[in-house]
Amino acid sequence: MIERLLHAVAGRVAAADAVAKADDTLTVSLDDEGRVTVTASRSEVSHLRIAGDGKVAVASSTDPSPLALAEQALADLPEGEDLTLHFPAPAPLPGVMTRSPQAAAAGPETLLSMLRPLAGRLARTNRRVEVWAERSLGLVRVGNTRGVLAEYEVSTIGIGTMIESIGAGAAPPCRLHVAGATMPSMVEVETLVTEADRRLAPPPVESGALSGRMPVCFAPRALAILLLPLRAALLGHEALLGRSPLRGRRGEPLFDRRFSLVDDALVPARPGSRPIDDDGVPSRRVDLVVEGRLAAMAADLRIGALAGVPSTGNAWRQAFGPPRVGFTNLLVRAGDGDRAALLAPLAPGLLVEDLEWGPGPNPLPGAFMARAPWAYLVEQGEVRGRVESVSLTGNAFDLLGRVVAIGSDATWVGSWCAPSMVFDGVGVVVR
Amino acid sequence: MKERLLAAVSGARSSYAEIRVRRVWSSSVLVRNRAVEVAGSATRIGGVARAVSPDTGWGVVGFTEVDRLEPQVSLAADLAAAAVNRRPVLLAPIPIRQLELADVLQDDPRATPLSAKRAIADRLSAVIHDFDRRIVESRVLYRDDVVETWLATSEGAWLHETRGETSLSVLAVAREAGNLERVLGTWSGKSAGPALDGALPALESVAPKAIERLHAVPVRPGRYTVILDPAAAACVAHRIVAHLGRTTLPGADPDALPLGLRVGPECLTLGDDPTAEGLRGSAACDDEGTPTRRTILVQNGVVTGHLTTRETAARTHLAPSGHGRAGSLHAAPAPRAANSFLAQGAGTLEDLLRGVGSGVYVSDLLAAEESGGNLTLRAGSSRAIRNGSLAEPVKGVQLEGSMLSLLGRVEAVAGDFTWDSSATRCRDGAAGVVSVTAGAPHVRLMDVPVSEGMP
Repeated sequence: MIERLLHAVAGRVAAADAVAKADDTLTVSLDDEGRVTVTASRSEVSHLRIAGDGKVAVASSTDPSPLALAEQALADLPEGEDLTLHFPAPAPLPGVMTRSPQAAAAGPETLLSMLRPLAGRLARTNRRVEVWAERSLGLVRVGNTRGVLAEYEVSTIGIGTMIESIGAGAAPPCRLHVAGATMPSMVEVETLVTEADRRLAPPPVESGALSGRMPVCFAPRALAILLLPLRAALLGHEALLGRSPLRGRRGEPLFDRRFSLVDDALVPARPGSRPIDDDGVPSRRVDLVVEGRLAAMAADLRIGALAGVPSTGNAWRQAFGPPRVGFTNLLVRAGDGDRAALLAPLAPGLLVEDLEWGPGPNPLPGAFMARAPWAYLVEQGEVRGRVESVSLTGNAFDLLGRVVAIGSDATWVGSWCAPSMVFDGVGVVVR
Repeated sequence: MKERLLAAVSGARSSYAEIRVRRVWSSSVLVRNRAVEVAGSATRIGGVARAVSPDTGWGVVGFTEVDRLEPQVSLAADLAAAAVNRRPVLLAPIPIRQLELADVLQDDPRATPLSAKRAIADRLSAVIHDFDRRIVESRVLYRDDVVETWLATSEGAWLHETRGETSLSVLAVAREAGNLERVLGTWSGKSAGPALDGALPALESVAPKAIERLHAVPVRPGRYTVILDPAAAACVAHRIVAHLGRTTLPGADPDALPLGLRVGPECLTLGDDPTAEGLRGSAACDDEGTPTRRTILVQNGVVTGHLTTRETAARTHLAPSGHGRAGSLHAAPAPRAANSFLAQGAGTLEDLLRGVGSGVYVSDLLAAEESGGNLTLRAGSSRAIRNGSLAEPVKGVQLEGSMLSLLGRVEAVAGDFTWDSSATRCRDGAAGVVSVTAGAPHVRLMDVPVSEGMP
C-alpha cells in the first residue's frame, strides 16, 4: 500500500510520505456477575502527506484504493498549510523489541485464563470488581519519496480492573492497569493486586485541621498527572506557538538537580517503543531534562521546519487527524529512597496515589488545583488512613524546584515510567 | 449493501446477530493565528458485528474490511462461544422496523469545495484578530462529517440512513498586563447553509467577550444563589442524564438513581428525547434497531426512568428506550444520551432574578467534568447578581458538588426553554464519542458553593 500510494503521487508533487497502520485488537472483559464479553477489532488506515509549491496537505482513509487517497490529497493541496518540508533520507534503524510472540498468540482463552484468577484475587465481600484484558497486534509501515521504506510489528497486552467499594465510608472507584509488549508477569499482576489492597484497605480518617502547605509524596500514577504541565511545555508545538513557559530556556537550571526526564522509544517492549517515527525519522533516546536543566523539546518534521531545528523523532499520525508531535516512552530517573525514606519527611503530610487534573484548566502555566481522591494521611512515617475531599494546589514547575526525595520505586504506568517523588510546600485543601 | 448485510446475519450460528457498517466522509480546516495549519479530508468505512446466544456472552468484531461480511458475523459467533457466561444475556423484545432514510442531504458538505470551508475559517480568524490588538491568539476549527449507516439484525430489522453534521469551534485569547483570558464559542448544525451564516455573529463575539473578561474581577468564594443560563443548565442536564441515567449498565451502581427516589423539587423534570426533530442526537432508531422514544428520567423531582439498551432493559424489566448508541465505527452500542433536556417551567429570567440579593449568573461553561458522581463546572462568562439585577462581570467561577446535591438545590425553572446549538460531544472512555444536544431554560439554584477556579 505504501509503495502504491507513493507511486500514485510520484512526479505530481515535490515530495510525499505515507504511513499505513494495521491493528488487530482482542479484548475480554469479565464483570462482577461473571458476564464475559469478547471483542475483536481489526482496522487498516493509510495516511498520505504531500508537499509541493510551498504547501503541505494530508489525507487519510480506510479505503485500500491508493488512487482515491492520492486524488483526495492532491485536490486538498492548494488549501494546505504554507510549509516547506524536508523528508528524511534512508538511514539505518536502531533495534528495539516491539513485539512478543507469546503476546501476539494470545487468544480469548488465554486472556480469560488470566482474568479469572485476577478477579478472584481482587474479590472481597465489600467490592464490585470488573477486570479486562486486551491484546493488540499491529503492523506499521512508513515510507517517503526519498526512499525510506520501513516496517515493524508491535504487540501490546494489558490487564486492568475497576473496583467499586460498597458501603458506608466506601472509597471512590479504583481503576488500575498495567500494559506492555509482553505478557504481564506474575510480579506485575501481584503488584496490581497489592496496589488495590494498599489503596482500598486504609479506612477514612478525620482530617482535622489538615489544610495548608505541607510535604506530599506523589506515587507514580499521581506523578504522571502532576507533571502534565511539564509534558505539555516540552512539546515543540507549544514552544512554537509561544505558549510554553520553557521556550528559549534551554540549558538553564530550572528544576532540582536530581530531576531528569528522558523520552526513549528504544526501551524494549513498552507501549511507545518503535524503531522509526511516523515521519520516517529513526528513533533515538531524547534527553529532555538533565539534572534539572532543560536539554531539548520534542519535535517532528513539521515543528522542525517551522522552528529551524532537527526532528527528535517524535512524530505520530493519529487515526483521522493531522500529524502531531508527541512522546514515546517517558522516563523520570529514579532516586534511591525506599518507602521509609519517602514517608519520613511527611510529619505530617500526604501520600497521594492518584490524582484528577480537574475540568480543563490550561496546563501550560503549571498552576493546578487537582482533586486527590486517593490521598492518605502520613504521620511518623506511617499511613494513618485515607483522607476524603482533598484538593491539591500549587504550580508544577515550582514544585520541581522543591524536591525532597525521589524514590527507587520506578514503575511503568502505560508508556510512563516514574518513581514516587516527595515535594515540599504543596497546597492542601480539605473541604 | 442491503442484500450483503442481510445475508451475513441470516446464516449466523447464534441465536441473535447484528451487523452495522458505517462510512464517514469528513473534512476539516484549522486556522491558527490567521494561518492555515490543517486543511484536509478523510474517508473511513468500518463496522461491527455482534452475536450472542442464551448460554454465551457477547462476541463482538470490529472491522474496516467490508468486502466480506459473513466472516465477521461468523467470527463474532465464535468469540461469543468462547465467552462462556455464568448468567444468560437476554434481550428485550422490540418492534422490527425496516427503514430507508438515506435521503439526499440538504447542503451536502461534500459538494462544497475545501476552499470555501477554508474561507469561512479565514474570515472568522481575521475578524477575531482585527477586533482588538489585545487578542493575541485565535484558533478556528471547521469540521464537517457525512455518515452513512447500514444496520441489519437476524430478527429482520433493517436501517439505512445518511446524516450530515457541520461544526465550528472558535477560540480567542486576550492578554493585557500579564492577564490572559480565553473564550471559546462553538456551533453545530446539520449543514453549513443559512444556519451557519446565522451563527457567525455569536462566534465572532468570542473576541469582545475575551476583552471584557480582562477586566472582570475574580469571584469571591462563598455560597450563592446561582442562575444558570439555558446553555449552562443544558450542560448540567446532559451530564446528569448521561451519567446518572445509565444505572442499568453492568457494574454501574444500581442505587445511584433508583426509580421512585425524590431527587429534586416539583419544578424539576429531566429527560432525553432522540425523537426531537433535527438535533445532533436525533434518530428514528438507535444502533440496535430499536425505535427511539422520549424518555423521562426525573418527573417533577422523582426518578421515573433510565436510558437502556435491549440488554439492560431486559435485565431491569424496563421497556427499551432506544438509547443504544455506538461511540465509534467499531464500538458496540451502549446506553448513551442523545438529546438531553431539563424541561421548561414558567416565568422569565427577570422572575428568577427577583428577590436575589447576592448571587452569580453563569452564562456559559468552559468545562464540565464528572468524576465518581461529582460534577465540577467552570464557568466562562459570569456576572454578579445584586439586588435582583445583573451586575459587573466576574471570572473564575467554579461550582462543585455531587450531581444529586445539585439537583436538590434547584428551586426555580423558567419558561424560556431552548435547545443549545453548541458542538457538544459526549466522551465515555472505551465507549467512544457520540454527538449530543442538550436543552434547558434558565434555572435557579440555591445556596451553591462557589470557588475560584484555575484560569
